[in-house]
Amino acid sequence: MNNCIIKLMLGNHAIAHGVLEAGVAVAAGYPGTPSSEIMEYLIDYGKEFGVYAEWSSNEKVAFEVAYGAALAGSRAIVTMKHVGLNVAMDPLMSSAYTGVKGGFAIVTADDPNMWSSQNEQDNRWVGIHAYIPVFEPYDPQSAKDFTKNAIEFSEAHSHPVLLRSVTRVSHVRGPVTVCSPATPRYAEGYVKDPRRHALIPANARTLKNELLKRWSTIEKDVDQLPHNYIEGDRNLIITSGVAFTYALEAVKNYGVKASVLNVATPVPLPRKTILNAVSRADRVVVIEEGDPVVEQQLKALLYEEGIRVPILGKAENLFNRVGELTMNSVMDGLSKALDINNPLLSNHPIKVDYAPPPRPPVFCPGCPHTASFYELKISTAKAGVKPIFSGDIGCYSLGINNPFNEQDTLTDMGSSLGLGMGVYHGTRGKEVIVSIIGDSTFFHAGLPALVNAIYNKTPMLIMVLDNRVTAMTGGQPNPTNKIDIGEVAKSLGADYVSTVDPFEVKKAQEVISEALNVVRKGGVAVVVMKRGCALEATRLFRNYVTRYYVDENACKACGICYNLIACPALIPLESRKAWIDPYMCVGCSVCAQVCPYNAIKPEGDVKNWLSAWARM
Amino acid sequence: MRLSMYLAGVGGQGLITFATVLGDAALRAGYKALIAETHGLSQRGGSVDVHVRIGDVDAPLIPRNGADVIVAFEILEALRAVNYANENTTFIVNRRLIRPPATKQRIPSIEELENMLRSSIKNVYFINAYEDAVKLGNVIYENMVMLGALYSIMNLSQYIPQDIIEEAIKMNIRRDVDRNIKAFMLGLRYGNTT
Repeated sequence: MNNCIIKLMLGNHAIAHGVLEAGVAVAAGYPGTPSSEIMEYLIDYGKEFGVYAEWSSNEKVAFEVAYGAALAGSRAIVTMKHVGLNVAMDPLMSSAYTGVKGGFAIVTADDPNMWSSQNEQDNRWVGIHAYIPVFEPYDPQSAKDFTKNAIEFSEAHSHPVLLRSVTRVSHVRGPVTVCSPATPRYAEGYVKDPRRHALIPANARTLKNELLKRWSTIEKDVDQLPHNYIEGDRNLIITSGVAFTYALEAVKNYGVKASVLNVATPVPLPRKTILNAVSRADRVVVIEEGDPVVEQQLKALLYEEGIRVPILGKAENLFNRVGELTMNSVMDGLSKALDINNPLLSNHPIKVDYAPPPRPPVFCPGCPHTASFYELKISTAKAGVKPIFSGDIGCYSLGINNPFNEQDTLTDMGSSLGLGMGVYHGTRGKEVIVSIIGDSTFFHAGLPALVNAIYNKTPMLIMVLDNRVTAMTGGQPNPTNKIDIGEVAKSLGADYVSTVDPFEVKKAQEVISEALNVVRKGGVAVVVMKRGCALEATRLFRNYVTRYYVDENACKACGICYNLIACPALIPLESRKAWIDPYMCVGCSVCAQVCPYNAIKPEGDVKNWLSAWARM
Repeated sequence: MRLSMYLAGVGGQGLITFATVLGDAALRAGYKALIAETHGLSQRGGSVDVHVRIGDVDAPLIPRNGADVIVAFEILEALRAVNYANENTTFIVNRRLIRPPATKQRIPSIEELENMLRSSIKNVYFINAYEDAVKLGNVIYENMVMLGALYSIMNLSQYIPQDIIEEAIKMNIRRDVDRNIKAFMLGLRYGNTT
């Protein structure tokens, strides 16, 4: 333990620091909330210690980059959000068959409550499905420790491991003991071993047997890992992950009398550790965030052992399967399971006779997506078409809201193209399809779908909102910084390709109209709306930023600006005239272009500012 | 010692920076600190909350009706935060109204909202953080004014010496350290008067 200090650290940074302390050499990932800060940390700090870290074009590619490094013998890690793991499932399933030479941790950050996700799948199931052990930390310190344990366990067993975090671990800051990074362990070279690394059926059949053999060793060895056990009453609470912290508070502060066992590995369960704890208990309560993964395995285990003890958990609806755990949901469940009073119910609530209107997330001031959605709306209306707006994953999913209502479907990365094609063919071409996709999402999963649209001649307008960064997850770089999306579409043979700046309101509308004409004649049209993310632009070119103001005398209170653009900086006054909040406006100029009375005027050198912004 | 502090505001008001400075200072003063935040889509101009817990704590989230203090960076968000309050909870509320976008509903004035809060909450303090910050040249200093108000109203000096807060500001806010410290100092005066 050389040069260790205690620091307040985000859970994700703690995972990343664990990666550095474990001597990981190759790290790859695709951004996604709540996982993104792991790779950001490794890219910012890992490089100086000789770590190779990259943002990959999607999770499957990221997985393969890390997996390949681990096959060669390097220590490696791949990071993604829970739904990203679906994209990486193909190599993931194979990785258990081939095993690895260097320690290989697959980090999945799950998002119970769907703070920033389309579902709340529990990726611990993947461990059972794929024969891959799952480590589950419960706070930032354990996030660092378990990451190191996981990588070492992986290397010792020549087998990949999963590390499952959740929002309330990844995005919690807490004290973490931080030590010096280890020298990255790269492979000496790649030793050819096609019998193991090339999964032709004959090899795969042999390897499946080897996999099962490794799995039974893993089942035994997880008992050696540091699981937490706190001796208490003959009630036993078994937890995994963040549930442990709520159980600790229940015992310490809310009068719950119980022993607590937290398993570091929900998959596979540490059998001896569990049987030992259960042998001292009259009843068992299982608390975990997500699905009853531990609970169901525990029931199977105790059945096998012929142990009959009540097991209480999600099967009895004591704890929520939807959303995240809270102190209240945990105490509700525990008080029912153990038949005790819930002291949290004695807190006196406060009543206020006013419920403020909801404040949903909105496009940022100056967001180029606002302009794009406005222009798309006007152009389609002018053309007399009512398209299906096939949406996608990114900040632009906010286009679902008023006044835009331009996200009719939205299910998974790249779905805007695929679902759009399906709607077109499923309606025998009755519907006009507009697919709306971001730059990073385009390269992630839109590209093969564009190939399909062109190859199978499916008429559609594909509008790529190219804001130069992966904005929703914090502005990470992506292939659009080096590869021109318009050129890609041209080379693939799209019937119409045009790149336009959404801040040139009139011109952008003309381009969309042209593209719609091509689509109506049966063509595939690609329009790239190219303008950098406003958050990034104001950060990068801070000194250039200018803003607009409303000339009170010229404003006719028509409401076009605040009703149709809906920029948060545009505020309707009591008089229905518009006012621009000078602390919010970032000078994008779009409202000024839309105002029919020229009532919105610049305060500084707008040309200079907008051309600096265009350098992104 | 265990302090549960619930922060409510609007995305972009600097709640995470506030929490990081406070949590880091608590840790430097020898207390455990846990901060639970949300990132990603949920932050774009929408309601945001941050749970800050200091002392003998394990769980990241504050129970319903379980906050010792609620720091509201915006007055409508103070009303939304009452779920976390009980009759002994102290409210520290920025006298600032940010109109929720895309609502046709009439929003009560700041004075009306202030009266609602005063009539149902025993311990409530109103802070002119927006005005103070603008005086310092930018609304971004609002969060440090609120931190100063929290520090003095909740008497946090019994746990965290003031120079440690200043050090935490220096370590966690890289730009305009002096003005951020000034903003914190401006906030301190709210603890002296009711």
